[in-house]
Amino acid sequence: MMDRYSIWQIIGIYVAMAAFLIFLLLPFFEMFMASLRPLEHLFRSPYQFWSDDFSFKAYQDMWNTVPLLGRYIFNSIFISTAVTLITLIFVIPASYAYARLDFPFKNISLSIFLGVNMFTGAVLLIPLYRVMATMGILNTYWAMIVPGVAFLIPTGIWLLRSYLEKIPVELEEAAFMDGASRIYTLRRVVLPLALPGLLVVSIAVFIGAYAQQFLFAITFNQTREYQPLPAGLFEFIGYQSVTWNEMMAAALTGVLPVMIIFLFLQKYLVAGLTAGAVKE
Amino acid sequence: MKAPTNAPQTRPKRLSESAFAWLLIAPAMLFIAIIVAWPLAETFRLSFTDTRIGPNFSYVGMENYQDLAESRKFKQTVWRTFYWMFLSVGLKLVLGLIGATLLNAAIPGRALFRILVLPPWVIPIAIGMIGWLWLYNGAFGLLSGVMQYVGIVDKSFEFLAYKQSAFYSAVVADVWVGVPMVTLFFLAAMQGVSRDLYEAAWVDGASRWYRFHRITIPQIMPVIVSMSLLSAIFTFNSFEIIWILTEGGPRSATTTMIIDSYKTAFSSRKFGEGAARTIVIVCLLGLFSVAYLWLLNKVSKHYGTK
Amino acid sequence: MRYLKTLTLGAVMVAGSTLSIQASELHFIMCGGEIRDADQTVVDAFTAANPGVTVNIEAVPWGTCQDKSLTLASAGDPPSIAYMGSRTLRQLANNDLIVPAQISDETRGAYQPGILNTVTVEGTEWGYPRAFSTKALFINCGLVEQAGLQCVAPRTWDGMYNMAKAINDNTDAAGVGIAGKDFDNTMHQFLNYLYSNGGVVIDPVTGENKLNSSNTRETLALYEKLISVAQEGPTAWERSQLKDLYNDGKIGMYIDGPWGRGQHNANIKEITVPVPAGPQGGNGTLLITDSIAVFKGSGHEELAHKLAGMLTTGESQYALDTEWGLTPIFDYAKLGFENPYYEGDDYWQVFVRGIGIGGPEPLVEEFKGLQSAFTNMIQGIILGEGSVDELVEIAAQELDDAL
Repeated sequence: MMDRYSIWQIIGIYVAMAAFLIFLLLPFFEMFMASLRPLEHLFRSPYQFWSDDFSFKAYQDMWNTVPLLGRYIFNSIFISTAVTLITLIFVIPASYAYARLDFPFKNISLSIFLGVNMFTGAVLLIPLYRVMATMGILNTYWAMIVPGVAFLIPTGIWLLRSYLEKIPVELEEAAFMDGASRIYTLRRVVLPLALPGLLVVSIAVFIGAYAQQFLFAITFNQTREYQPLPAGLFEFIGYQSVTWNEMMAAALTGVLPVMIIFLFLQKYLVAGLTAGAVKE
Repeated sequence: MKAPTNAPQTRPKRLSESAFAWLLIAPAMLFIAIIVAWPLAETFRLSFTDTRIGPNFSYVGMENYQDLAESRKFKQTVWRTFYWMFLSVGLKLVLGLIGATLLNAAIPGRALFRILVLPPWVIPIAIGMIGWLWLYNGAFGLLSGVMQYVGIVDKSFEFLAYKQSAFYSAVVADVWVGVPMVTLFFLAAMQGVSRDLYEAAWVDGASRWYRFHRITIPQIMPVIVSMSLLSAIFTFNSFEIIWILTEGGPRSATTTMIIDSYKTAFSSRKFGEGAARTIVIVCLLGLFSVAYLWLLNKVSKHYGTK
Repeated sequence: MRYLKTLTLGAVMVAGSTLSIQASELHFIMCGGEIRDADQTVVDAFTAANPGVTVNIEAVPWGTCQDKSLTLASAGDPPSIAYMGSRTLRQLANNDLIVPAQISDETRGAYQPGILNTVTVEGTEWGYPRAFSTKALFINCGLVEQAGLQCVAPRTWDGMYNMAKAINDNTDAAGVGIAGKDFDNTMHQFLNYLYSNGGVVIDPVTGENKLNSSNTRETLALYEKLISVAQEGPTAWERSQLKDLYNDGKIGMYIDGPWGRGQHNANIKEITVPVPAGPQGGNGTLLITDSIAVFKGSGHEELAHKLAGMLTTGESQYALDTEWGLTPIFDYAKLGFENPYYEGDDYWQVFVRGIGIGGPEPLVEEFKGLQSAFTNMIQGIILGEGSVDELVEIAAQELDDAL
């Protein structure tokens, strides 16, 4: 009964929802429209919603203009996945420590981690370049993975910590009583229960990595074969003109795989967020 | 939260709690130390020099900082950055709450809507901004075209060409990037609120607004608060969005501190001065966070949670 | 595994150095975002002539390109060779990041007048000029006639303004395209007008800052007038976008380089005329070159010089100039080419005549500072944030700071 809405309220909700979604999806619409127009007609004013010469030709041509496009799409996904996995390796133990244990400098160190979020890679580029040059990882996949991991670890710890704090301590204490070591407890008792939270944090980290590869890619990597999609899209910018329609087509096609994956994962995402009951 | 310490003698030996904790944290710490802390320290050192593009430089003490303190332009940049942050985060929170409430409503199709909310978050920011560039283009873009068609303006409107409109256009794009994540986190928090609370209120005849205002908001307040801080920090440092849209222009209308810092260091090649700006960013954000967490403490007490 | 890789690499390099032919890879940064056929042909010939040497060409768009080369050089990992705007040469040279160019006397004599000035800093040539352009005014006759005027070249600024105003008032299109974006060609567009008014930015002999002059004021005042008949929101437009507007028939005229004819829609009837003269000058234009710079410390300077030399021979340049519609960089007749592409063609004569009367882009170390002084001034007048006098004063001041 509580959830029964009047007809006006339902209409209102749908209208509001539509407005909200239009705002969020407008750029995609624009990009899709642009990808359908032939290049000469992109620059036509005033704006026309429909024109006779719409076609999907750009979607075919783009593979020729930028031959490595498929590789770029793959690279984006590969790099993000690598970043996510590696970040989790660092984050899981650390957030367990913050969630459960007590130790000197606990709050200070947590603040330090949070502090890393306080500036982006954008301003550390040159010293960072030197560090990576010294480590010898420039122009490899690592050049983009390593900074990505570094800037996502704090967020990961911050998020996962609040999930782990939700898991009842009693379960661990029971394991303790039975003589289990801490590592065992972590592995066999805590992790399974933390799964929803882990999923959420993984997704958040993945998205973070996927969305922010651009700057590191263009600065630290010269090898075309390793470039992720946003950097690869630059190849549509020519000496004197830009093949916008193909660039848009490539952008949309490139993010499609990730979108589809998210279609399936969104259920878990929301469920995970709820289960974690992000009350902290 | 501590494990029981009165362990009987027969228990196997364990690492002390602190040692174990540090063992767990060490890898992450070390990684950050190398990749972030060292460059940061180097940036700190650079801020006391007048390093430019060539190999020669000298230490100039606090000169860079003094210049900043005396610069009217820099003060404007700082104000602008805070204005940018408050406006954008405010909008994100409001829209996030509205969106979460909408998505939480028990109406058909909400699963689909929840998926449709995701794209701006998932898409690489650089690509999203190219989409917005097209939208904002006066002559060839959709927004101007629609405005002309509907009659709001009688000739094409270049959103990014004028100081005010460029600033607010950038805010809109930044909000666009941030809203999905905020909405989803709020939605999850809302779903975690116990139904019993709502039912009790409903039985007592409470209106929807009352339930929202007196139950939902307080219950999810911790999430609102932590989201705000996270969002504030990201927004303060939002680089790609502004850079791709306007590169800080026109005439510095969209130059926030991070844009200023990047431009000084990379466009003008004044690394020493750019470094000083970076350090100021870190300090200001640090202060802000401290103030914010203090406020958080008070709010928690007021709302009676944890 | 990385250790093994380093060892192997080290071994190979040691072994390689004992032979007379070295295995090397040149890192070639190509600004402009595209690898032109003319360049690729020469690079292929180069690698064929030098076994064991490969060239990794990295095409980077103009916006990020110069920043990237400089970032790499600052961080100690310079490219071997780069094709960039000549404006960067002074900063690179002053900071000891590049080595002087080794231009043969024969080649030097064949360059069009004024070209070598764009790569020379205090007597030393630092780059190999590779691409050259002068500018002219393109006018859409269709729109002019629609506005009720005859499609003839305006001689003076007043004539140009009147034509633009007529188009603006009597047709749907704007009269003129003005670039005001924070981009290098905003300054370039302005310089075309300034040089048509006898103006000078930096005195070539004394090195003095001459921006604060009546010539500049008049030019800025012209901009103020032109804004009222220009396209919407000039601060969002740069030259290549103006071309798109022009093709859409939305602006009556704009300044562009010789490649313009090839980029304009076939159905636009147009004339190409020299930039109209201001009150204190004659037709002027801006000479811009892009050149090839050899970086210091890459380990293959000799090879890079070789490659640069090959790229800048008569044949190679002719191929590039014709492929991309550039103003001839050499006096090709002197080099023995028969019927060079620009002889006997009125269109080309407009651009070629500009060579003798044009002025160079000022070559300063702080070219970003120079650019932003101009951008601030131009955007200031566009956005109505100051009078002509104030803005010119401020610009001159900012230029002083940059020098």
